Amino acid sequence: MSMTVPKETNEAVAPAQAGVTAPVPSVRVESDPPGIRALIFIRDRGIFVLWALLIVGFGFWANPYFASVTNAVLVANAAALTAIFAAGVAVGIICGALDLSIPGVAALSACTCGWLLNNGQPVWVGLVAGMAVGVLVGLANGVISLRGFNPIIVTIGTLSITSAAASILVGGYTIPGLTDLKFMGTQRYLGVPAPVYIAAAVFIVGTVFLTRTRDGLRLMAVGGNAEAVRRSGIHADRYKVLGFVISASCAALGGLVTTAVVTEASPAASPGIIFTALTAVALAGVSLAGGRGSLPRVLVGALILATIDNGLTIKGIDPYWGTGLTGFLLLASLGLEKWISTTVSNRLVATAQASVHTGTR
Amino acid sequence: MTDIAPALELTGIDMHYGFVRALDSIDFTVGQGEVVGLLGDNGAGKSTLLKVMSGAHRPTGGAIRVHGEEKSFHSPSAATHAGIQMVYQDLALVDAQDIATNLNIGREILRKGPLGWLGFVDHKAQRKRSEGELEKLGVRTAAMTRPVEMLSGGQRQVVALARSATRITGERNGILLLDEPTAALGYEQTQQVEALIRRMADQGIAIVLVTHNFPLATAVCDRITVLNRGRKVADVPTAQTNYDEIVGWVTGARPSMFV
Repeated sequence: MSMTVPKETNEAVAPAQAGVTAPVPSVRVESDPPGIRALIFIRDRGIFVLWALLIVGFGFWANPYFASVTNAVLVANAAALTAIFAAGVAVGIICGALDLSIPGVAALSACTCGWLLNNGQPVWVGLVAGMAVGVLVGLANGVISLRGFNPIIVTIGTLSITSAAASILVGGYTIPGLTDLKFMGTQRYLGVPAPVYIAAAVFIVGTVFLTRTRDGLRLMAVGGNAEAVRRSGIHADRYKVLGFVISASCAALGGLVTTAVVTEASPAASPGIIFTALTAVALAGVSLAGGRGSLPRVLVGALILATIDNGLTIKGIDPYWGTGLTGFLLLASLGLEKWISTTVSNRLVATAQASVHTGTR
Repeated sequence: MTDIAPALELTGIDMHYGFVRALDSIDFTVGQGEVVGLLGDNGAGKSTLLKVMSGAHRPTGGAIRVHGEEKSFHSPSAATHAGIQMVYQDLALVDAQDIATNLNIGREILRKGPLGWLGFVDHKAQRKRSEGELEKLGVRTAAMTRPVEMLSGGQRQVVALARSATRITGERNGILLLDEPTAALGYEQTQQVEALIRRMADQGIAIVLVTHNFPLATAVCDRITVLNRGRKVADVPTAQTNYDEIVGWVTGARPSMFV
């Protein structure tokens, strides 16, 4: 036990410490060695580099069809839906909960909107009702999870309930002919399809919210260490619920945009939605442990998936090669992230120990 | 350290769990700017007493006075409100966030104007305030934008201490409860934390230090209180005692001062 710590040790080292009595006049902002900064850059921005490499690679390989503005718009449009769902998944994970109910919420929101439009309601009523579905399911997910149940199981439950509700609402059949929603589906503005604008808006608002506002920062902090936030006198639970609400709202928005694009509301909750979104999120290095992640990287994750699909399609290569390639990228990025984190923390601890003298008396 | 009223004063604190007396009429005081070490073997009642002070436990009997006013804490947040901050062994920092965010969470500075109404945080002002606060404490850790996960154990401890210290230095100096602040630290880092504790005391903060590290206690505390099986057996200025006496009280080999 520490009781046996001999006092001699203390005294023996004491003279050494007397030699470092340099007073510290001010808080000096230390900068990191360049090696560490490079590693951190790769960890935080590596996905942008990867995407750039893919674009350059496909640009040469699939010349001249890949590197064109028309194709860029296609890629962006293909990525938009994945990106909206991925934003929901990412916010959920950052806040500390993997929300699996997303496909169900998307289906229910789409069917609610479709059903209302079919019954002669104006478009805005349908859209507001669709989004309201998202908010309500998010609230339910959050409140139930706070009772101490595992969020994964809770959201699997709400996934089943919402997809069943969607089917019941529309009698099990797809509602076709919802052309009123064209303005947010296939309509182009300045040559760019509407979903691209919607996804861009989601990511701009989301990024600003998470990094610049009080509630966003607290949301991220709750995902990282809820106890720390609670001890700072903040109602951490509210932010947990907020995370679920944002996640489900993104899902509802995604469902509405999907409906607008295909002009029909389908009650089928496709689990593929969540896995594609999760792939984008994981590529972006959002830790499943929560508390960290960045939306711009998630957006690039979704864009990478779309870029690979698009490039391989242009070259006439079967899509399952793309799926396989994505898998490899995912595993490689995991390994790289792990290696960088370990290296950085090892090096930083080494330098921190060396400079700790100057930091004391 | 003769203040008009001690920063924190506990009188006749009893704590019973069924027939077990965890605390048996303990008197305890800590004045402004004073560091009091709370020592004792495992199970002596140190942690229980600390939890009574932090509002986590309600004592079976006895009175708690903060700056002379009698208080009864229903919850840790009530204690926090009264100016008592507890620094736990597990630190409770948000690893992925930087130092400034960790120091400012719960008391963010919002930007001026319409952006502030939308809840936008003024990162620059927050960094500046935190730098000023750390400077006042004489602490140098790392860049304010460094995530906590990239700090060494000592630096994390310093950040955790500074976070608590900055929350209690309001119009009236507060009380800081430290539970084993150096348990996981090496020699150098312990020195750093020790210096910080002294500096906080010099600024008028009252500090209660629970530790097993006797060299630390004798180096940093003005006064040492020893508990043994739920009773107070010693309460002496550090200058008037020595290592052997303390070990004697802690182990029970030395008779209580109060019999």
